[in-house]
Parts: sequence; C-alpha cells; structure tokens
Amino acid sequence: MADVFDPIAILQALERQRVTYIVIGALGRVIHGSDELTDGIDIVPSTREENLRRLGLALDDLNARRPNGKALVLERDLNAQPMLELETDGGELKIVAEPAGTRGYDDLRRRAAREPLGHGLRPPIASVDDHARMLAALDREQDREPLITIRRLIELEHQLHRGLSIER
Amino acid sequence: MRAGLSQVELSQRSGKDRAQIARWERDVVQPSLETLRELLHACGFDLEMTLVPYETDTRHDARVQKALERTPQERLRAMLKARGR
Repeated sequence: MADVFDPIAILQALERQRVTYIVIGALGRVIHGSDELTDGIDIVPSTREENLRRLGLALDDLNARRPNGKALVLERDLNAQPMLELETDGGELKIVAEPAGTRGYDDLRRRAAREPLGHGLRPPIASVDDHARMLAALDREQDREPLITIRRLIELEHQLHRGLSIER
Repeated sequence: MRAGLSQVELSQRSGKDRAQIARWERDVVQPSLETLRELLHACGFDLEMTLVPYETDTRHDARVQKALERTPQERLRAMLKARGR
C-alpha cells in the first residue's frame, strides 16, 4: 500500500474547481459497501473542454504528476491512453475517459448518486449496477471477488427496494 | 449497450415502446426473461443460460450486510482505518 492516501483532499480539490466527474473503481465500490482496500481514487470526468480546463486546475492544486516524470498534458494524454495514472499529494488518481463496458461520463451520470462522505463532500458515485457492468467487462481474475461482492450488494439492495417489479 | 443502439433504434428493431425501454434502462421495472431475450435478439445477441452450483457464503454475506448498515462516510472511514493497519 502506498504511504499517502487522502481521498477527501483529492475530492475537495475537484469540488473546489467545480469539476464534473463520477467516482468509479475500488473506492466507489467501498462506498457502496464492498470490503476492499485501495490506494487510490478513479474518476470519469466529463470530457467537455471547459471541464477539462477545470480538471487541469484541480490537478495543479494537487501537484499531480505522471509516474514516469513526463510532463502532463491532460487533453492529449487522455486521448492517447484509456487510463491516465497520476501521483498527487493526496495519493494515486486515475482518470478514465471511457471505462470498460460504458460510454463514459454521460452514460454513468444517469445512474450515479451523490453520497455524503463528511467534510461537506457529496461526490457523485457510479451506481452499483454500473460498477458490476465495468468489472464484468474488464473480465480480470483479480476482479472476481469484488464482482461477487458487488453482485451480492445488488441482490440485497433489490431485496430492500421491494417496489421493484418483474413484468409479465 | 454492446450493440451501440439508441433507445429509438432498439424500439424500432424490437417493436417495444421506447418509453418502456427507458424504464428498463432506469431499472424502474425489469423485463421478463422472455422479453429480455427478444430485446437481445433485436440487438443480434442471445442469452445462453447454464445451470451452475450456487453456494451462499454466510461469512461473506455477514460482511456485506454489516457494510450495508453503515453510512457511506462510515464505509470510507472503515476502509481507511483498515488500510492503515
């Protein structure tokens, strides 16, 4: 595990610059109830030009840098690779424009919900169903356990919301 | 999703009402298995069903249940605490 991980500091920086984004990945799953440990935060930003400008400001605030030491050029780097891995003063931050099995921010936004995490933060978290969709699409051995947990969470949530009906 | 169809396109292909497709997507209601297969066929896919053993892991379920009783803030705090151990 990395030494520093302060998700609150990262989220506060994003909120301060009014970045539009959705939290996905292990941290998103933890917030839904998965018992994983994680070192970093994964986000899907809106790729609109103004939002990427704001995201760039937030990354400056967080002293974000690429692990390979190369200069960070957000828009170019996001277009060049599916996932941008950054080190920040608050820990690891991964920026994913289009997570596996989804069409990106606009796709995830519809089912995402803001969850209260303290410090006045209510970041949008991808839905539990979308987390399952992403894990299933990745189809990696390491995601088998988290996927079982997420599917169980979905079952339990559906049991809680008994209003849900199956059509005939 | 994988077929890359919009709700309107899926509606045209499957003969199902677009508003109904939107309700399925929003998880307001779930289509029956029969309807789901019709939708998949309209997308050029089929659903293969295989019978596999299903075992409940009571310890795992207890952990999940416990996590659900916590607030999102408590879940985050618990993870950070466990990570620090």
